[in-house]
Amino acid sequence: MSSTTQEALSAGGPFSATRIRRRKSWFSGLQGSEHGWAVAFALPYAAVFLFFVVYPIGYGLWMGSDPALYQELFADPRYLTTVVNTLLYVGIGVNVKMFLAFMLSGFFIRKRWWSKVVLVLFILPWATPALPAFMSIHWFLNGQWGMLNNLLYTLFGIDGPVYLNDQWTGLASNVCAYIWKTLPFWTLILLAGRMAVPQELYEAAAVDGAGGLRKFTHVTLPLMANLYFVCTLLDMVFALGDFNSTFFVSGGGPAMQTEVLATLGIRYAFTIALPRLGVAAVMSALPLLIPLVILLMRKLRMSEGQL
Amino acid sequence: MSATTSNRRIHSKLFYRLQHYSVELACLALGGVLVIWSLLPIYNMWMIALNRHDDIFDGSLWPEQPTLQAFRVVITEDFWYLARFWHQFGNSFYVGVAVSFLTLFIGSLASFTVGRMHLKNGWMLTNAALMTYVIPASFLAIPMYRIMQIYGLANHLVSVVAALTTFATPYAIFIFSQYGKSIPMELDESARIDGANPWQIYFRIYLPLMAPALVAVGTYALLLAWNEYLYNFLLLSTPESMTVAVALAQFLNSDESPWNYMMATAIIYAIPPIAIYYGSRRYMAAGLTMGGVKG
Amino acid sequence: MKNVSRRAMVAGSIGVALARPYVARAAGVTATVWQVQGFVPEEDAAFRKTVDAYEKLSGNRIDLSIMPFQALNQKAIAAIHSGEVPDLIFHDAPTTILPQNAWDDRLEDVSDVVEPQRTKLSATALLNASFYNSRTKQRAFYLVPIKQACAPFHMWGDLVRKAGFDLKDAPKTWNAYWDFFKPVQTALRKQGMRKLYALGLQITTVGPNDGNGLFAHFLIANGGQGIVTQDGKLHTGDPAIREAAIRSVEFMTKCYTDGFVPPEALSWNDADDNNAYHEKLFVMNFDGTLSPELAMIKNHKAYYEDMVVMGLPNRNDGSPMPAQLGAGGGFIPKGAKNIAVAKEFMTYFMRPEVMNENLKNGLGRWVPSIPSIVKEDPWWLDTATDPHRSTYVHEAVLGPTVAQYNGFNPAWGKVAAEQVWGQAHADVIKHGMTASAAIDKAFGRVEEIFSKVVFG
Repeated sequence: MSSTTQEALSAGGPFSATRIRRRKSWFSGLQGSEHGWAVAFALPYAAVFLFFVVYPIGYGLWMGSDPALYQELFADPRYLTTVVNTLLYVGIGVNVKMFLAFMLSGFFIRKRWWSKVVLVLFILPWATPALPAFMSIHWFLNGQWGMLNNLLYTLFGIDGPVYLNDQWTGLASNVCAYIWKTLPFWTLILLAGRMAVPQELYEAAAVDGAGGLRKFTHVTLPLMANLYFVCTLLDMVFALGDFNSTFFVSGGGPAMQTEVLATLGIRYAFTIALPRLGVAAVMSALPLLIPLVILLMRKLRMSEGQL
Repeated sequence: MSATTSNRRIHSKLFYRLQHYSVELACLALGGVLVIWSLLPIYNMWMIALNRHDDIFDGSLWPEQPTLQAFRVVITEDFWYLARFWHQFGNSFYVGVAVSFLTLFIGSLASFTVGRMHLKNGWMLTNAALMTYVIPASFLAIPMYRIMQIYGLANHLVSVVAALTTFATPYAIFIFSQYGKSIPMELDESARIDGANPWQIYFRIYLPLMAPALVAVGTYALLLAWNEYLYNFLLLSTPESMTVAVALAQFLNSDESPWNYMMATAIIYAIPPIAIYYGSRRYMAAGLTMGGVKG
Repeated sequence: MKNVSRRAMVAGSIGVALARPYVARAAGVTATVWQVQGFVPEEDAAFRKTVDAYEKLSGNRIDLSIMPFQALNQKAIAAIHSGEVPDLIFHDAPTTILPQNAWDDRLEDVSDVVEPQRTKLSATALLNASFYNSRTKQRAFYLVPIKQACAPFHMWGDLVRKAGFDLKDAPKTWNAYWDFFKPVQTALRKQGMRKLYALGLQITTVGPNDGNGLFAHFLIANGGQGIVTQDGKLHTGDPAIREAAIRSVEFMTKCYTDGFVPPEALSWNDADDNNAYHEKLFVMNFDGTLSPELAMIKNHKAYYEDMVVMGLPNRNDGSPMPAQLGAGGGFIPKGAKNIAVAKEFMTYFMRPEVMNENLKNGLGRWVPSIPSIVKEDPWWLDTATDPHRSTYVHEAVLGPTVAQYNGFNPAWGKVAAEQVWGQAHADVIKHGMTASAAIDKAFGRVEEIFSKVVFG
């Protein structure tokens, strides 16, 4: 790649391209009563954080602090299944979706009159409230009278399986529902990322004689890599905490075999009446969650400078 | 121009055109697949809602006698589960507006004091917000439930407003901080020289200039509150205090669920967020940087 | 238990003696009551009516919150654990709540309310209302049993007739009775009903109650009734009980693998089976209360002509089969502020005439826990105006009944919540295990759960 491209690259990624160096705060710092104002402005959020984040976290840690809870948890055969499910759900669901989102963002960036229409319809799953959407999917998948098997029968004469009767097809259904619901959003994010790649970079690359593939590997990929990585991490955290798709699509069934940690915790707490065990189930995700959160916080801070 | 070159040119032109068409065709097919994939579950909702109750399972792909009766029942509250439907709709609306307003207010104040006034140790505030943003809300559900009881807010709409504001505000701070960078600091300075106090600067200068970001984040918060289920379900339990999301799920744990009514309710419930989303899509794009949803 | 009860009775009568004047003086006390939402709207109206009558009589006020079943479950659990409690919780068969919390000493002893009616109450109701407290190391009444329910057979009589069968020919023993419906499916399919199934056999592993209740009935039918005894002991070591469990799993899974049960049944939730039944996707269903019929009471033809309710056949060995009953009613969490009012209200509710009036207004979905009521009031057994109620009352009140295992040992609740039996079915159907291997696995888990609950 030539120096032209290099130069353009060093000028900044998609995020810094639009950023102009500006004075960061008020001249000569805060004066007199302004200190008081500054503190007062910070108070509402500080209060929210204290009362509704710090306190519940502390309370949760306290609730789940008894080691005996974890003994009980690990002795429950469902727990191991749940952990495996959670890992599969997050690992497969997130990665497949982000890959699709990345590909689709490339599809949507090519302007055609009809792709705008497709985009508008494509957003619909994201704009639809999760609860009715997932309930609809639950019935859509019903083996006996669901629309999917009716379609299969009408079109191909096949009797489809009962998807929610089996651990693996059930888990796959939950993952698909999650992808269905959130794919549009991440596609839009990556689309925004692609659009922020300065056009000059492609032009410069073209001047250097780069073809479509080289443009992709030398301009798009390096510039998008960080965004892609951050999005993946962020969605992993979201997927880890996703309650709705499992709860409404498979309901954790059959026989609690498609449960994930987020739903198992709620089930322990409110169906089996063991709130502490529920907290313990959720807390057992901390070894996975904490590194993710630390990595994410660093990444987000770096990519956004201030925040 | 000799015959051969023109011939070759036609050939290559034809080749390119063919290639172009086949690419277009493949794209069109992909577009079709995407549309079907996106719309099938939504079509399913309509299908069930338009059916008569006893025709829901007859396996046809389009209702034999489509009827709007289910919508009539929902709108006139003509079924006992739906006896408080409009009241619950009002509750959802109240929660949405309150969360939206509080998120904007708290978020903009925080980003103003950290981003512009450079509050001493303001980084702690942004770090706190960042941490809240990346913790899954569902993981805090059980302790939050207990906390709300301790605060005496259980079964009160305020508890849901508080919880959802907590989860929406970090994103607001995040977006406002970025957007605020585009507003020249000199504006604040000149107001300061004119003797304006920080509240006046915030209210008269900062907020008006932040309008697009406010609309985006406000919409985001409204949608989050409207669509959220888990906290609504845990924190609200009587028919009077329920929001539509909870009332809807009630259809699931009873011996009799007229699914056409339920799906009609679901569709009516889904219309406001979809309308709001499409209405403010232009502004949403401004706010649509990292992480527009909270898991 | 007799000793305890006597002592409780003394304490109770003192309590009542003390409470009465207090209530009278403090007329206008407001008690908070959480009530479960009925499955038919009439139940809510009936409860409201009872409350109104009590308010008028006592001068006290009842602050009533109605909540759906699941919501009330979860709120009650949270309330009891946090101490922020209402004065009374009125709930349908709260078997996930009572045993464990009575064990943990988190509920008020209501023996003083139950005792005065003791002689009138059915033995099963008394068993369903008493639980072991591990702190006092005694059993006592923690539920005021107002109402009871059992599971009858529900079926579409018109479908059976259409297939050319007569319900009068239905065999009198359990397995044979189920088998009777299999040829109905075959015949109806020949008539073109491609997706019809015979049995709504709920081997579900998702719904919280139905699958467990069905398995318990199979156990009873196969002679395994004593899997848990009143002393809270587990008897999985008894070869007869193991045999009964294996035969139950064998029969149920065979119905499924032979294609007589809707495949979906493995993942039905609470409403799914009722909906499918209403849509006539299968011929018969075994499910709690009369709600499948009452939900269609406005459909005259369905309710009065097509639907049929039948009680239990005999056990497989030919002996009479008892119905397993669930009890609903009021309980008081520890820490309630107006215990006296709550108890007074429950005492009022326990009066036979009040109980009768309330349950009748609720369309008879629940039957009274005082059996004499149904004998004295002809409404309950009147077959002229209602085709289903009398059969149901015969099964739930007049025939032999047994209590739920949950009251004997709180560990049973955990067994149910973990869907251990559903898992056993899934192991056979999905993973090709033999019934005896599946039961060995299930019993292993059950023993482990029970081993953690030690009666002091």
